[in-house]
Amino acid sequence: MSTEPPFLQVEGLAKSYSGAAEPVFDGVNFGIAKGEFVCIIGHSGCGKTTILNALAGLEQASAGHVFMDGREVAGPSLERGVVFQGHALMPWLTVRKNIAFAVRSKWPDWTAAQVDAQVEKYVALVGLGHAIDKKPAQLSGGMKQRVGIARAFAIEPKMLLLDEPFGALDALTRGTIQDELLRICAETHQTVFMITHDVDEAILLADTVLLMSNGPRARVAEIVRNPLPRARQRATLHHEPLFYAVRNHLVDFLVSRSKTLAHGQAPTHPPEVRPGLDPEPAQPAGPTHGTLHRVA
Amino acid sequence: MTTPPALRWRAALLSALLFALLIGIWQLATSGAPPAAAKPMTAEEIEYAKLLGKDPAAGGEGAKSGFPTPAQFALGALKHLGQPFYDNGPNDKGIGLQLAYSLGRVGLGFALAALVAVPLGFLIGMSPLVYRALDPFIQVLKPISPLAWMPLALYTIKDSSLSGIFVIFICSVWPMLLNTAFGVAGVRREWLNVAKTLEVRPLRKAFEVILPAAAPTILTGMRISMGIAWLVIVAAEMLVGGTGIGYFVWNEWNNLSLSNVLFAILMIGLVGMALDAAFGRLQKAVTYVD
Amino acid sequence: MTRHFDPYDADRPLTMRCTCGRDHSVAEHRAELDADSAAAVLRARSESADFEQYSREFVEASLMKALFPQDAVRRNFLRAVGRSTAMAAIASVLPIAPLQAMAEEKGALEKKDLKIGFIPITCATPLIMAHPLGFYSKQGLNVQVVKTAGWALIRDKMLNKEYDATHFLSPMPLAISLGAGSNPVPMHVATIQNTNGQAITLHVKHKDKRDPKDWKGFKFAVPFEYSMHNFLLRYYVAEHGLDPDKDIQIRVVPPPEMVANLRAGNIDGYLGPDPFNQRAVYEEVGFLHLLTKDLWNGHPCCAFGTSAEFIKHNPNTFAALYRAVLTAAAMARQAKNRELIAKVIAPQAYLNQPETVVAQVLTGKFADGLGKVQNVPDRADFDPIPWQSMAVWILTQMKRWGYVKGDVNYAQIAEQVFLLTDAKKTMKELGMTPPEGAYPKFTIMGKVFDPAKPEPYLAGFAIKRT
Repeated sequence: MSTEPPFLQVEGLAKSYSGAAEPVFDGVNFGIAKGEFVCIIGHSGCGKTTILNALAGLEQASAGHVFMDGREVAGPSLERGVVFQGHALMPWLTVRKNIAFAVRSKWPDWTAAQVDAQVEKYVALVGLGHAIDKKPAQLSGGMKQRVGIARAFAIEPKMLLLDEPFGALDALTRGTIQDELLRICAETHQTVFMITHDVDEAILLADTVLLMSNGPRARVAEIVRNPLPRARQRATLHHEPLFYAVRNHLVDFLVSRSKTLAHGQAPTHPPEVRPGLDPEPAQPAGPTHGTLHRVA
Repeated sequence: MTTPPALRWRAALLSALLFALLIGIWQLATSGAPPAAAKPMTAEEIEYAKLLGKDPAAGGEGAKSGFPTPAQFALGALKHLGQPFYDNGPNDKGIGLQLAYSLGRVGLGFALAALVAVPLGFLIGMSPLVYRALDPFIQVLKPISPLAWMPLALYTIKDSSLSGIFVIFICSVWPMLLNTAFGVAGVRREWLNVAKTLEVRPLRKAFEVILPAAAPTILTGMRISMGIAWLVIVAAEMLVGGTGIGYFVWNEWNNLSLSNVLFAILMIGLVGMALDAAFGRLQKAVTYVD
Repeated sequence: MTRHFDPYDADRPLTMRCTCGRDHSVAEHRAELDADSAAAVLRARSESADFEQYSREFVEASLMKALFPQDAVRRNFLRAVGRSTAMAAIASVLPIAPLQAMAEEKGALEKKDLKIGFIPITCATPLIMAHPLGFYSKQGLNVQVVKTAGWALIRDKMLNKEYDATHFLSPMPLAISLGAGSNPVPMHVATIQNTNGQAITLHVKHKDKRDPKDWKGFKFAVPFEYSMHNFLLRYYVAEHGLDPDKDIQIRVVPPPEMVANLRAGNIDGYLGPDPFNQRAVYEEVGFLHLLTKDLWNGHPCCAFGTSAEFIKHNPNTFAALYRAVLTAAAMARQAKNRELIAKVIAPQAYLNQPETVVAQVLTGKFADGLGKVQNVPDRADFDPIPWQSMAVWILTQMKRWGYVKGDVNYAQIAEQVFLLTDAKKTMKELGMTPPEGAYPKFTIMGKVFDPAKPEPYLAGFAIKRT
């Protein structure tokens, strides 16, 4: 375990709304290492999107801090690219111009040729070269989402934030794009924080899965390290020996423990778990302080 | 959306039939009674008839300056269209010149209104505080008929042409203002969020995100404003006189020359249609499918 | 009258179009030719020695009137000393020749480009006809006569100086100077343009209601509050026992809209300016009930005036304008010119009325709407000398109906507003003492008005507001 602070560090994040008895979540602590792909899973209402917005700088948390690369996150930044749930493309611009808008925001002094080159590179990355001069109305849902991803990647941010990017897509399209995302991240070693509802998607894409208990007073209840090897493939994922161990663990959590750990019962410094490698915990863990459970 | 050719042909045919029907009704209504057989008239009666502009040979009957027949109207119209730009002093100019004066006033008033309405609309759309502060003023001033402003304008501005332009300004400003505010306030949050995460500065955001997003609504406002402005200028010119198509109508009305009044009305309609079509084109150019 | 088409003339081609080659009908050609040729004829007449003599005598007669406002006094004087002695005596007292010369004198013009407003009615004939007949340009002025939509606008454009001088209703300069209905700005009347020339017109359906006593509940129109029309109408109905504010309705309608309103039935009648009375007859919607000449023969109607400020800053220009309008008025007085004048001022740029309507008004041979052709040559007249006493009468009526409140110094205001010809001023400059005071009495509907005693006159009315 390295002793230097992780690339992204969340400390004691909390959010409450005026008039509510208890905060939506509080005492949220976790870290993300550089090049790591982190997914966060939890039931609706536990505040996942709020946490993402806080990381993106689009919302202010009621308490707590977020540090990236040693500096506090105070507002939105080009260093943290966002892919929104609805693709959020500007419908009056073509694909090329949408991405160029982002590129010019990051590098305002670039020449037109440079901007074009960057745009075309990332459009090719998501495989949409043939549609580059079309307007969003002429694209399918999946294509639009890919453009959103290309736009986020094109600014080469230090960290990428994805808010349920595939929630609106059908299963087949989702599968195709998941493969692509996996490929791109393998190529670019991008640091990613993603919200999802889909357990299989998390297992496919993520190196680490954060499990959130239910609100109010939701917490990150567990940090699950993905035991499966890095070069995963959707087609062969379910053949991996530890696949079902991980899957069952996640589903068990979502079905029962997420509820029981609501109302602040989850620890503020969640334990790290490696399902399939570590024995399953017999009962909900009490408050601990960042120590690893390593049971041989 | 293109209409299929069959539909277009049928619509054109129906329009033509309706037009022919209208002309037919017009002709019937204005042809009047056939002249009675000439009855013997005294010398005084003949002279009387002549003084009333009637032809004694037709028995002293017959329509004079009443509603013109389609043929009379067409003749008069052709005469006007034949010399559209003649200038016979301040009280007598060709139809082309008069329309040009009116369009000039409308153009100037409208441009001024746009210069005020669009930035102010932006401000109102983006700031709830400003919206609430200005709302009572807008609600009170908006329903005031522009012609009610005319006396005040004449009194303070002291120039009839500038007063006309002011009246156009004050009536065009509201639709553009409110539509701009509405369009700006209605810009999708997610586009604004995109701009935020890309650290886009406020001016660039206004021009590259908010303006294109609100453009269809803004242009709708402009189209409405232009329609109102064209309506108002005719009335204003009738009040104030001097030059313009409204003055032309008033001048011909003085002479109870219905044929010329009808012609002027037709011109007003045609120009109004052209203006609206032009704005319709502009609107199409900025519309996007969401 | 030559025939327009002559199919039996072996020497002339039978064209349906005008032989001049331009694309209009023969009738239009004749009309155009007539207006142009009429103007040419009138212009020629104005330059004839005959007219110049007439115009000189006109000035002299006007000055005499100014000298001896009481016609009886003038006649007594003449009878006493005989004509030639009178002429010599007057010439020794009054520098007639220099005054005539002054009337023809031209100083350097301060302002050459002028805008003069007018309402398209026959009252403005002198002012209007001076334009096509070149009287303005002969004085070195470049004048644009601008048709205006209504009296309120005329007032506004004078107040904001868009117009340099204008056609006024006689009471207007008074009203504006007094500040009734606007800011008080001193306005002066330079000449009265016309006298008589108005009429009470009623809708044809009232053919049997010739007695004003039957007019209870009628709606009448007048051109403006401060107009002779309003005062004469009120006077007329009041004399027949009706209260003009209670028994009838009086509305303000711009003259050009009067015929249309009559036809639509919005009003039952109007006391308005010509040519709109005659036009109502022409359109067969109205008939002439009474000519105003039969109410008060020689009443002033419209005036030609400007602001005191304009006169102060541009005295020579004003004198030139005055001379032009005076020449026009002189020409308009002569009956032989009236028909031609009608041709000149009827087209679109001026009155924009059918020529025959204007001709009937000016020549006095007209159809009365009841089937008769009447012949009243002084139906409209053009007399440029403003009379103080007229102003005093107008003031009494304004006070009577409550348009002016409080005490009015009649003589002073009247004198101020109604500029007599430069005669008085010039006479003073030449070291003479012009006659003061005596204003002529005149008769209105059988009642004598003595301008020296306005208050008792006012008190003598049964129906009034003061």
